[in-house]
Amino acid sequence: MNKQPPVNELNQPLKGVSLWRDAWRRLSKNKMAMGGLVVVVIYALVCVLAPVLPIYSYKFQVLEHQYLPPSLSKNAGQLMVERQEQLLLAMAGKDERRELNEEELALLEAMRGKIDTETAEIDGKTVLVHHRRYPFGTDPLGRDLLARVIYGGQVSIAIGLVGTITSVLIGIIIGAVAGYAGGQLDYLITRFIDVMYGLPYMMLVIILMALFGRNILNLFLALAIVSWLTEARVVRGQIISLKNAEFVQAARSVGAGTGRIIFRHLVPNTLGVIVVFATLRIPSFIMLEAFLSFLGLGVQAPFASWGSLVGEAVEGMNLYPWRLFIPALAMVIFLFAMNFLGDGLRDALDPQSKNKL
Amino acid sequence: MTKFIIRRLIGLVPTLFVIVTLSFFIIRVAPGGPFDLEKRLPPTIKKNIERKYHLDEPVLVQYGRYVLDVLRGDLGPSYRNPDHDVNYFVWNSLPKSMLIGVLALGISVVVGIGVGMISAMRQNSWADYSAMSFAVIGITVPLFVIGPVLMYAFAMRLHWLPTSGWLSGEAGWLTLVLPVVTLAFPYFAYNARLSRASILEVLRSDYVRTARAKGLRDSVIMFKHVLKGALLPVVSFLGPAFAGIVTGSVVVERIFRIPGMGQFFVQAAFNRDYTLLMGDVIVYSVILVVMNFGVDIVYGFLDPRISYS
Repeated sequence: MNKQPPVNELNQPLKGVSLWRDAWRRLSKNKMAMGGLVVVVIYALVCVLAPVLPIYSYKFQVLEHQYLPPSLSKNAGQLMVERQEQLLLAMAGKDERRELNEEELALLEAMRGKIDTETAEIDGKTVLVHHRRYPFGTDPLGRDLLARVIYGGQVSIAIGLVGTITSVLIGIIIGAVAGYAGGQLDYLITRFIDVMYGLPYMMLVIILMALFGRNILNLFLALAIVSWLTEARVVRGQIISLKNAEFVQAARSVGAGTGRIIFRHLVPNTLGVIVVFATLRIPSFIMLEAFLSFLGLGVQAPFASWGSLVGEAVEGMNLYPWRLFIPALAMVIFLFAMNFLGDGLRDALDPQSKNKL
Repeated sequence: MTKFIIRRLIGLVPTLFVIVTLSFFIIRVAPGGPFDLEKRLPPTIKKNIERKYHLDEPVLVQYGRYVLDVLRGDLGPSYRNPDHDVNYFVWNSLPKSMLIGVLALGISVVVGIGVGMISAMRQNSWADYSAMSFAVIGITVPLFVIGPVLMYAFAMRLHWLPTSGWLSGEAGWLTLVLPVVTLAFPYFAYNARLSRASILEVLRSDYVRTARAKGLRDSVIMFKHVLKGALLPVVSFLGPAFAGIVTGSVVVERIFRIPGMGQFFVQAAFNRDYTLLMGDVIVYSVILVVMNFGVDIVYGFLDPRISYS
């Protein structure tokens, strides 16, 4: 027996490291992936902590505050007065006056007074309503865009996660059964997947939404129903390549049942591939959801998602471009981060690079 | 070869059969029958309408009728638009969607391969890096963000191009530019990355080294030897690309207000006009299935290693 410890190609002794620790070591060296991870964690924290963060309600409307531009330094009232002043000046310009007359100045003064006194009841507290600040601006109903982007992110990310988990679970079960059973059953399942692949499946999702009504739960279901195909294919391939391995024969020889072999022995061995696949799947799920919500077939008011925010903003983006650019940027940053993280994970979990630097 | 084509053609039948069957039963079981309007119809009128659309026959007879109609190319009446049938909508909107889709696909393939080729020949140059970063943007940023941003920049701020419309007015063909560029962008990105990777792989192969050893010029090697082998991944990606372009055209038609099939499809989903919805899906599926079939055949011609037995 060779008692020497294993070495890598540089003759350095190797310690036994688990797959995950080895992967983490390689992932932490990948700057793009770690940057992605940091962004994803920040997004997750903000979305989870949204109820306790000092932000306004995503559905509280102040109709006088519609279409306010983003501003960090000025509060809503100041922006309103500014807008009114510009409007009055423009109207005065039509009469070929350079300055406002007394009547108009009095109107502005009254507005300024109203700003510092007018109150409203929000969540049981009486607040000076025109002292609200909107760092991301407001929408046509005077709702805070910052809150809507954060709560929209909650919905988008939740749909991305739950959709991915559901479709991966369905894919694992069907793929594992097909791969392990083989024969007639495998043939039927594979043919079914092939046929489904030929269908324009986004169209099917749209039809399912039209059939069952447009709400978030149906959106989950419709996306999950049509999106397990690729997962099933991947898992099936993995199981077929593993099912004649020695550890499976060993399990069978000690009398393990089919279910136990599939779910205790085979599936855990495919997890690495599945994790990578799922990470790369989350952004595509978020894009699918956003696609539907953009068309108005997904998340319905008063809820929001990044897709519905972008979709609503296309109308009138010439005058109110922030309504388009802010949610779009929030979504694109997250998608980039997820993609970098997914690519990094794929490289890190690649068995070819095990124990490499 | 003929045998292969025939076998592939027969393979298309189950897919089309599933689509037609699925669409029939979705139309039948959909909640809120076609004539359940807010105003309740008197029973006799309802009965007459049902007789007109053969809804009073047994389901299997209806199914047989539907399949025969579809085979004859008749997609049935639109339940929400009594003046027109589904064929009318399809024939009016499909050419517009096709024009945009074909242009976008063509541009994405030609420009994508071109950029991929330059990137591969000048690997790790600044041209390579900037082209590939550009491609990452195309792959990550969704169409419905690219479209409005391009429209905002080039139509609303720079006024170089019209915001929307369809081949009308003095803008004419310029109305096509933004929708086609938007739709082509993601597939251009995929094609550029795919062709760069496969050209790099082929460039390292033995037969290219042999060609070089014979003293052939770089351009001859690229166009006569490398490109044919390197095109395979791009060709096999064409199938998914067709599907994506079909889906993407729904978004692009919405953004740029093009009266194409995607617009009618979304409208039908809002109105729950099931016959129009399913008619559109059948047309979309037939296009996809036929395109995939074409891709398979082209693939067979390009790759001599594929056997047809």
